[in-house]
Amino acid sequence: MEDLSLPKIDYAAVAPMLILFGVACVGVLFEGVLPKAARRVTQLVLALLGLVAALSVIVWQSDTRVLTAGGAVAIDGPTLFLQGAIIVLGIMALLLIGDRAMEHGGAFVAQAAITVGSEADRKQAVKEQGATEVYPLTVFAIAGMLLFVAANDLLTMFVALEVFSLPLYLLCALARRRRLLSQEAALKYFLLGAYASAFFLFGVALVYGFAGGVEFGTIHDSVTESTQSTVLLYAGLAMIAIGLLFKAAAAPFHVWTPDVYQGAPTPITGLMAACTKVAAFGGLLRVLYVGFDGVAWDYTPILGVVAVLTMLIGAVLAVTQTDIKRLLAYSSIANAGYLLVGVLALSKDGLSSTMFYLVAYGFTVIAAFGVVTLVRDADGEATHLSRWAGLGRRSPLYAGIFTFILLAFAGIPLTSGFIAKFAVFGAALDSGEAWLVVFGVVTSMLLAFPYLRVVVMMWLSEPGESTPTVSIPGGLTAAALVIGVVATLVLGVAPAPLLDLTTSAADFVR
Amino acid sequence: MNALLIVVLAVPAAGAAAAALLPDRVGRIAGTVAAAVALLASLPLYRDSWFSYGPAGVRPWHEVDYSWVPALNLHFHLGVDGVSYPLVVLTALLTLLCCGFTLWRAPEPGRGNTLVALLLVIEVGILGTFLALDLVLFFVFFEVVLLPMYAVIAVWGDRDRAHAARKFVLYTLFGSVLLLVGVFTVVASAGTADIVALTGGGELSRTTQLVAFTLLAIGFAVKSPLWPLHTWLPDAHTQAPTVGSVILAGVLLKMGTYGLIRVAVGVAPEGARWAAPVLGVLAVAAIIIGSLVCLAQTELKRLIAYSSVGHMGFVLLGIATLTATGIQAALIGNVAHGVITGLLFFLAGAIKERAHTGDLAQLGGLRETAPRLAGVLGFAAIASLGLPGLAGFWGEAFAVVAAIDRGGPLWTTLGVVAAVGGALTAAYFLRLLRRVTHGPAIGSLAPPTLAPVEVAAWAPLVVLALAVGLVPGLVLGMADGPVQALLEALP
Amino acid sequence: MSTGEAVTFWILVWPALVGAIGMVLARNAIHSALWLVLTMLSIGVFYVLQSAPFIGMAQIIVYTGAIMMLFLFVLMLVGRDASDSLIETLRGQRVAAVLLGIGFAAMVGTGVYRAMDNVTPAGLEQANAQGNVEGIARLLFTKYVFAFEVTSALLITAAVGAMVLAHKERRKGEKRGQPETMRARFYPGNYPGPKPGPGVYATSDSVATPGRLPDGTLTDRSISKILPVRELTSSESAPKGTEK
Repeated sequence: MEDLSLPKIDYAAVAPMLILFGVACVGVLFEGVLPKAARRVTQLVLALLGLVAALSVIVWQSDTRVLTAGGAVAIDGPTLFLQGAIIVLGIMALLLIGDRAMEHGGAFVAQAAITVGSEADRKQAVKEQGATEVYPLTVFAIAGMLLFVAANDLLTMFVALEVFSLPLYLLCALARRRRLLSQEAALKYFLLGAYASAFFLFGVALVYGFAGGVEFGTIHDSVTESTQSTVLLYAGLAMIAIGLLFKAAAAPFHVWTPDVYQGAPTPITGLMAACTKVAAFGGLLRVLYVGFDGVAWDYTPILGVVAVLTMLIGAVLAVTQTDIKRLLAYSSIANAGYLLVGVLALSKDGLSSTMFYLVAYGFTVIAAFGVVTLVRDADGEATHLSRWAGLGRRSPLYAGIFTFILLAFAGIPLTSGFIAKFAVFGAALDSGEAWLVVFGVVTSMLLAFPYLRVVVMMWLSEPGESTPTVSIPGGLTAAALVIGVVATLVLGVAPAPLLDLTTSAADFVR
Repeated sequence: MNALLIVVLAVPAAGAAAAALLPDRVGRIAGTVAAAVALLASLPLYRDSWFSYGPAGVRPWHEVDYSWVPALNLHFHLGVDGVSYPLVVLTALLTLLCCGFTLWRAPEPGRGNTLVALLLVIEVGILGTFLALDLVLFFVFFEVVLLPMYAVIAVWGDRDRAHAARKFVLYTLFGSVLLLVGVFTVVASAGTADIVALTGGGELSRTTQLVAFTLLAIGFAVKSPLWPLHTWLPDAHTQAPTVGSVILAGVLLKMGTYGLIRVAVGVAPEGARWAAPVLGVLAVAAIIIGSLVCLAQTELKRLIAYSSVGHMGFVLLGIATLTATGIQAALIGNVAHGVITGLLFFLAGAIKERAHTGDLAQLGGLRETAPRLAGVLGFAAIASLGLPGLAGFWGEAFAVVAAIDRGGPLWTTLGVVAAVGGALTAAYFLRLLRRVTHGPAIGSLAPPTLAPVEVAAWAPLVVLALAVGLVPGLVLGMADGPVQALLEALP
Repeated sequence: MSTGEAVTFWILVWPALVGAIGMVLARNAIHSALWLVLTMLSIGVFYVLQSAPFIGMAQIIVYTGAIMMLFLFVLMLVGRDASDSLIETLRGQRVAAVLLGIGFAAMVGTGVYRAMDNVTPAGLEQANAQGNVEGIARLLFTKYVFAFEVTSALLITAAVGAMVLAHKERRKGEKRGQPETMRARFYPGNYPGPKPGPGVYATSDSVATPGRLPDGTLTDRSISKILPVRELTSSESAPKGTEK
């Protein structure tokens, strides 16, 4: 038997992932050896340092364009851009996760095993410090996302999908308040996520049957050359797409989104809304642009219908929501639709505009959930919309910030939302997908109403007895808020640098 | 000189920020100063129109052009010419008057400095719309106006303000969406968003032009507003505070007609030619229906609001003829309507404030109880009904002349019917005067005299109404060149 | 397909299917698990048949042997609960689910069948050239080495997750030492002797049947707290030998 030799691995190129996996493992180790009081600060600092280190490596490696680790990992423009975006958004989410100023002990439960509603549970809700395992889990999730957008074959992609999903399932279950809702959310997310993963895996098997390999390069070649029956190809692609669209929260695979967004601890909701979306669309872009671009004519109409359905469902159901977190969840669904419009442009412009949209939306949505963590009463966050009435009088600053964020979601000019929508719609029009753009514009008008309703409610209603107070944010949340709001403004007024960056990054290696 | 274009936009924006951040009284003063500076900065933008020649359909006197987002081919392209200059000055003037007016009396319940800040943001949006020479930039500024105006109506409005504000937003958003789709259509098929390059139709195919014109025209028609898309206007006017109504009628509606001339007709002339008869018929319908509805109105502000529908009908008729005379008529009609209706709304606000009602049945004998107020109201009403020698005359008369000049059975009929509509206009304004100023005095007005601030706010408008009426060349002269250029560029 | 392969396939396909259906339909969680074992064993044999002995053995040893047994242990420790809720929260949900499921299976099945109609299997010899296990090892340690290593992150996450969700920390004060336990045991009013075993009768050998004290009364203390108490019929509750 001949010797096996390890494939050449460009360690510098995969260093960001290695750093984060390492940091997460060290974090787990710290859980075991450090005294309880020292854990939170150590973990937070460690995680932040790890993320910053990974980000600097990405910046340092920004000219790398290689296939490495035996062709399983592709480090190219989109990978590096999306990895950078995930890390920056991850840092913001981590700041929200780490803040304990608004609530004693932070947003996470101390011991998830204690029975909900028991005496011990009531005691731990007000007294104990939150679990510190959330930091290594978050870092694991972010590391998995980095691999997900870099994966160059379907198998690596599947493993990465699981690596970043599993910590998220766990994190969803760890809310300090409303724990039953949180556990229900985690279970729903886990079951449906497992189901979607199964679809993905089945799809991989079928595509393997068609192409004889799972690397995107092999698939690309067989799509253009193979004489095999295309049933396997189409069925496989459809199932892979289902797995990815589930993560991206596109209709009709969106049903988990509102429940999970509502039940999960708000900082985790922010993490999911921003980073998971970037990762899911990063994976979808690579699958569609690199692997299956040969059958673009066949899947464009179907994914177009999915996009339209997603936009419509997100926009229409957002109108009927009465809970701010559910409202943001439906808006996130609608935004998945707009992102799909950009993806379906299937051009360099489509790629760059989708990446821009992901970043712009990520900044805004984390800031939005950051504000949600601030508005609270004795029972924790006050998420029912009626409770937000008159918030403008109570706290003009935060109501103003939230108004600005909502206007960005609505795509009002001079916010990043407008430029982002303009970019994806423009790219889709250039590719002749005018019908998608028409639906996009109409639904974004529809979607403006729920946002405006919140704005009106905050400013034009008198504050009542039940209007909650707005906590003074701790330094960490304030930092995340400032980053999010400034980015939303800057990307709306002077988006040129980032757009240039996305344009220069918009080339996959195959 | 080109830098002034930026200054005109930056000063109100800075003023808005200052007004919002400073304490109430100081903020109001700061905002008013900013509005005054903006007006002063806008005046020297004038240049003799014969000075500019060139092949393009738009020959700006001054322009600045910065690349804003190169990747999306967006430009920060501003310019001013004879079509936009009068509107720019009018906007700056009316905003200054409104800001000054709030110095004297800030309406309840919101804080006065916030109102001033919102007015200044609206000014930035409107000025930007008039100055933009990039289609996307035009849309951006067009949208900036929406929310502050909504807030002005929804916070400082009358009893039924929430309903009126919602209706305003619904209609305007609907218009914006069509406008955005239209802009997308043009930009995507022409590959550029530069209005200078686009004017005359350029490379656009006939089908594209028809689609683009339809979308853009409906979008602008909501804003103007053209019958039958006008129903938001009376509600918004009735409920809005005085300064809101003045800005709304004075300059905000002009964004629609200006857009129709500069963007819709300029960019998609084929479409305009194709849709001209429909536009003309709708315009005349607006004139007749607006007048008839006015005859039946019992509320002062509502009546003036509906009169706007009629006046904008004349403006649109002028545009629809697509002749030099017609477009000139539209431009002067625009300016005249801005001046006169602004004045009328100031007066209506003053009367309502003194009498605590706007119901025509409960007003009367103003001539006896408040003779000066009655005098100014009479002047404004007569100017509005189009008495020769006052500003309102030229727009209406030339629109009719242009329609008849255009010839053919359709246009002749339209001209004749519009003239009849003009007579109806006279009828309802005289009815208004008979009800309000004449007749037995009902109730008393307190105070019956005019405050100095009111005189100061109204005087410029009265003077302008007279000046434009006596020397229409003020507006027509500077618009002559640009209109010729526009029409030459049309195929 | 060689003859032997075909024969084995047609014999084992039925247990596989019946096991799968039985797993879904069985009311009792333990029955369900046992049905699943049947299916997994059959599938393990299929793998071996198709020249994939390693995965076949892994299926039998790891899945059937380890994981399913773990599953059974958990069920036994926690106690089985046969009360399945039969209330449909969404009307017609079951019927729709069954119909759609059958439709989906038929669609995928026929699709794959037709796609495989004229396909000749290729590459099996090369893949197994140096033995099946070696072939898998080569792929794992060359092409998919990165994915393979990353899987460890998955395992760490799973372990941490299990701990976070299930581990309850006891403070020093909360833990009872031996002296306290003894004191509590002999505290007046407590019964210090061993607890009675569960009732064992000819008609019922369930641990959920309460035991009987020497005086003939039933006692709840013989039943684990997490089990539902089973009602005895009158003949069961009557002392043995008294029915005559």
